[in-house]
Amino acid sequence: MSSIMKIENLRAKIGDKEILKGLNLELEPGKVHAIMGPNGAGKSTLSKALVGHYDIELTGGDIIYKGKSIKDMEAEERALEGIFLSFQHPVEIPGVNNAYFLRTALNAKLKHEGKDELNAAEFLRAMKGHLEALGMKSDMISRSLNEGFSGGEKKRNEILQMLILEPEVIILDEIDSGLDIDALRAVSEGINKMKDGKRSFLVITHYSRILDYIEPDYIHVLKDGRIIKTAGPELVAELEEHGYDSIEEE
Amino acid sequence: MNLLELKNKNYQEVSELLDVKDREMLAERFVSLGLPSKKSEEYRYFDVEKLLEKEYKTLNYVPKTPKVSEKIEIVDGVVVAAPQGMRVYKEACQMIDMNHFDPLYYVGHMLCPQTIKIELDGDVEVEIEHKYTQSDTLINYRIVLYNQANRHATVYENFIAEELENTLVLYGYDMHIAQDSTLRVVKMQSMQEKPYAMVASHKVNVAKNANVILKSFDLGGGQALQLIKVDLDTHAHVDAGHLLYLNEKAKRGTVSQIVHIGEHSTSKQEAKNILDGDARGIFDALIRVEHSAKYTKAEQNSKAILLHEKAYMAAKPQLEIYIDELEASHGATTGQLDGKQLFYLQSRGISYIEARKMLVIAFANTLIEQVKDSRHQERIKAAFEEVFYKNT
Repeated sequence: MSSIMKIENLRAKIGDKEILKGLNLELEPGKVHAIMGPNGAGKSTLSKALVGHYDIELTGGDIIYKGKSIKDMEAEERALEGIFLSFQHPVEIPGVNNAYFLRTALNAKLKHEGKDELNAAEFLRAMKGHLEALGMKSDMISRSLNEGFSGGEKKRNEILQMLILEPEVIILDEIDSGLDIDALRAVSEGINKMKDGKRSFLVITHYSRILDYIEPDYIHVLKDGRIIKTAGPELVAELEEHGYDSIEEE
Repeated sequence: MNLLELKNKNYQEVSELLDVKDREMLAERFVSLGLPSKKSEEYRYFDVEKLLEKEYKTLNYVPKTPKVSEKIEIVDGVVVAAPQGMRVYKEACQMIDMNHFDPLYYVGHMLCPQTIKIELDGDVEVEIEHKYTQSDTLINYRIVLYNQANRHATVYENFIAEELENTLVLYGYDMHIAQDSTLRVVKMQSMQEKPYAMVASHKVNVAKNANVILKSFDLGGGQALQLIKVDLDTHAHVDAGHLLYLNEKAKRGTVSQIVHIGEHSTSKQEAKNILDGDARGIFDALIRVEHSAKYTKAEQNSKAILLHEKAYMAAKPQLEIYIDELEASHGATTGQLDGKQLFYLQSRGISYIEARKMLVIAFANTLIEQVKDSRHQERIKAAFEEVFYKNT
């Protein structure tokens, strides 16, 4: 099956430090790819590189998304094209109303796709079901964006954005960090709801816990800036038992 | 009239020039402070000399019988309209502060033997509209605002200028917030480069257990400085918030002294400054805690966002403390928009330009949303967005 995103020999640095050292990865449509690896392996750098974060300087290789290179695209263009990152630590933005932010983001996407934008009433109607599904109180969208949200609320808000924007490649950076069991279940249900056989998921995680809820198709081990092994879900048990040091590069 | 004529004069000469021989103590205090210049601490960033050296026409302030209106309308320093039943009249000011730090406070009083007195004797909400129509003129007036005991009043101030230029407005309040009362003053001033410059010199007396809330929203271009002295009695409280959004070659801001005199008095002062173009913002604020003001709580903070490399913020928060039994903090930051916040918005498909606008408006909204009345809050938001979008 042809890939929706192909990362070819990607090299990236932050400041003077090279983090990604020739990373290759293909994301298949409809599949869940989990990236696992030790601290400092480059997992978050990879997620940032894919969405065009300003910290990251790409020094080699390419990112091909739906047949074209996106490595020179601005972050907002990548988002409009359907690439979504759920942040490990979503920022708080006092004074920006959450509902206003969500509607602005959705309308930017609708406009990009040549569709009619939603007014406030239409938007709120569209939101209602998502809020209920995620177990979010309706007042959360009238508050400032992420301000004073608990860790779980921030992650639910990330998933809410994902549900609204309906991206095609979804990168989940440590989505399970800071979540209790109930929040983890709600967030996972939100993610599973998005599985439609076309979208690709890239789940970046330290621990296997999230993979009990979001069943992966592939496990990729990232170490020292490169993917050193790719296997099926059975690899998780091996990693749990023997750790990353036991993995030999293929 | 040329205010520069007051430079280097002794108090008798000043009294004679301004015809205030019966109030020589004002001239004496003015002379001890000296006519403001770029060397004056409180006017250092304001280019006051350029304003003082001009030759201005003066006006005859003939009182009129105000027509009945929903708001108090002051045109070129004369009250022309007032709400029915509200006590608005002319009277010599009985509460001039002889320890004010601003020399132009005394010039204002010397030029105004009669001030406009507004008595707020109920739980009222009133709008004051200042309107200026005369070019090349020195418009000078002062207002006494008297909030009676156990009353809770709100004043909304707005400024309008007709097509005029090169006018200097010297005005200010002497506010008295009586025991157990609350006064809210919300000032919104959207200015352009040309029509008029302003020096607003205020004195605020906050009596025992009284509260004053001073919120100012200064938008656009031009040259204007508000100088505020607040004296706090026992258990008195001031909550001051200042929003500056300046563009072009604006030079505007706040110079203030909050003086804690009574025990358990509290103060909170917050400035949010957004500066674009060649604008210069000023926040020169002192909190002084006197020996008598044990158990004071004082908090002061200034944050500035520079949107252009030529924009400049002069922020100088200061504490002057004479006792140990208190809680006090102050700080100032100046920077650019938060890169992480900008990126977060962009990562959701929002363009850089739109994201930047959202963050600037959000920064301003944290102060604007402190205005409780939704109609006035919306009015200020709309004025802010109009000036901001016009500039971007």
